[in-house]
Amino acid sequence: MPRIYVVDVPEFFPLVESARKRDDYRVTETGKGYFVIEATGSLQFSRKEMQLKPALWYGMFTGGLDGEITEWDRDTVTIVDIGKKP
Amino acid sequence: MTQEIPMTETDRNRTYATKREYRTRDVDVSELGTAAEDGVELRMHGVDHTARPTWKLRETVTFYRDILGLPLLHTISARGWGHPDHPDFLHFFFDAGKGATIAFFYYIGTDRPERYEPEDSHFYTATHTAWGVETREQLERWKETLESRGLVVSPYTRHEGLESIYFRDPNGYPVEISLRLRDVMEVDAQDAALTLQAAMELEDEANAEGTKIGDIDTIWRRKAALVGEFLEGK
Repeated sequence: MPRIYVVDVPEFFPLVESARKRDDYRVTETGKGYFVIEATGSLQFSRKEMQLKPALWYGMFTGGLDGEITEWDRDTVTIVDIGKKP
Repeated sequence: MTQEIPMTETDRNRTYATKREYRTRDVDVSELGTAAEDGVELRMHGVDHTARPTWKLRETVTFYRDILGLPLLHTISARGWGHPDHPDFLHFFFDAGKGATIAFFYYIGTDRPERYEPEDSHFYTATHTAWGVETREQLERWKETLESRGLVVSPYTRHEGLESIYFRDPNGYPVEISLRLRDVMEVDAQDAALTLQAAMELEDEANAEGTKIGDIDTIWRRKAALVGEFLEGK
């Protein structure tokens, strides 16, 4: 199950908000400085949807990445389970 | 009248070495005493000045005083002292606000060594100072005013907690003007410690194997493990 940890600061809230719109993603607010976002399949985020500037888009996994990034371009990033990278 | 002094081979080989004894790079820092051990809290109170060398006196004064419009506050002019390899110099300071200044050294009669030439590289521009403004309007005023004065200024760049514009001075030095978007919080410091812990662990492991950390994803994965432990209260 790919999982990311999102630092609980305003600039990364778009990640949490985007994930909450997805029925297949689980978002947990830990109350200890991180949100945990996980999914049984892959995790995918869109820069346009989140309206993240590039400096934040390319640093958004700074909270921690439990998975492997299979694609990451200017607008889309996909994360799968470790070892499941095609 | 300016006296032309031909540069000799000896001049070229001069290193202008300071021969100072406080060369921490030769020290094993892990052997030094720590703040936690002696309990003494050393704290800084903002910036007094930054300083860089210049070999373009007129352009530097024109740029900072006349184009940016920062008041010239102080100039020291002195014989090189303390060591024979210390050239005579000017040391001058422009007002950067809140008691801080932007300072330069102009070493009389010296040529800019090749390694001090500006470079178009990330390693080179990593050495810079970001000067603060208080409001978004001030940041915009900096960008728009400098552009109207003919300077090329970067687009606005929004970072974590900070929005910046960039330009270069006539020496090639990068200047950043930054607006802090929010105060740093406890969670930032907690997270910073875990990110660097992950990276330092991996650096140690890579050093032991004679390799380097492969990519940022590797650090993020180690970080995830550390954050996982932290959240479980380990």
